[in-house]
Amino acid sequence: MFGKLKEKLGLHAALFEVAAPLAGEAVPLGAVDDPTFSEEILGKGAAVRPSEGRVVSPVDGKVELMFDTGHAVSLHSAEGADVLIHIGLDTVKLAGKYFTIHKGNGDAVKKGDLLIEFDLDAIRAEGYDPIVPVIICNSEAFASVEAHTGTTVAALGPLLTLQK
Amino acid sequence: MKQLEFTITDPLGIHARPAGQLCKAVGSMGSSVKIATDAKEADARRMMAVMGLGIKGGMTVKFTVDGASEEEDAQKLEATLREIGLI
Repeated sequence: MFGKLKEKLGLHAALFEVAAPLAGEAVPLGAVDDPTFSEEILGKGAAVRPSEGRVVSPVDGKVELMFDTGHAVSLHSAEGADVLIHIGLDTVKLAGKYFTIHKGNGDAVKKGDLLIEFDLDAIRAEGYDPIVPVIICNSEAFASVEAHTGTTVAALGPLLTLQK
Repeated sequence: MKQLEFTITDPLGIHARPAGQLCKAVGSMGSSVKIATDAKEADARRMMAVMGLGIKGGMTVKFTVDGASEEEDAQKLEATLREIGLI
């Protein structure tokens, strides 16, 4: 009875997931070689050392901002999380080279929809660290942001659990 | 209310990192800070909104600082923009 009541009140939704947007090794933000991310200036989260060059939406929601350079995208999830996916460090300097954009500003997205493709080997060969921080930019709006790191993760595998 | 106008000299403009640094600095100020281009205005505390302005190098950006500590905060803001390398 209480279970049903909780469901009606929406309390079961207090915990929700922001999945991994691509496959690789899940690592803590502190392991990212850029203080903007490692010191959580942009918010809490985790990072993925990618093993593929295909970024999918980790949530149901909306594309808030697709950078025209394709190196980053921010999403607003249906649960209210502002999610920034940043592909590689300093890759803004590539000015779009090696990145292919598949969604635009304001597009509605479902978990698993293709957002960006990138040439992982070429970005590495140019000397860039291809690590992909996944940041909850409005972390302060949540009671906790828990990262599941220290393991390999598949695309849409568990990466972050948020508590409202 | 104080208004400041700058031309962004960083050719990459206000992308994720400078937006985060700017919002963090503004978050510690007592004043309300708005950032505007010719087209749009945003609350400078909201990183997503700041990035959404799509500010590029060479663009002119207007800041409006409003509050009891606006004199001090306007100076801090200018110092922060120089430190980040945006102006």
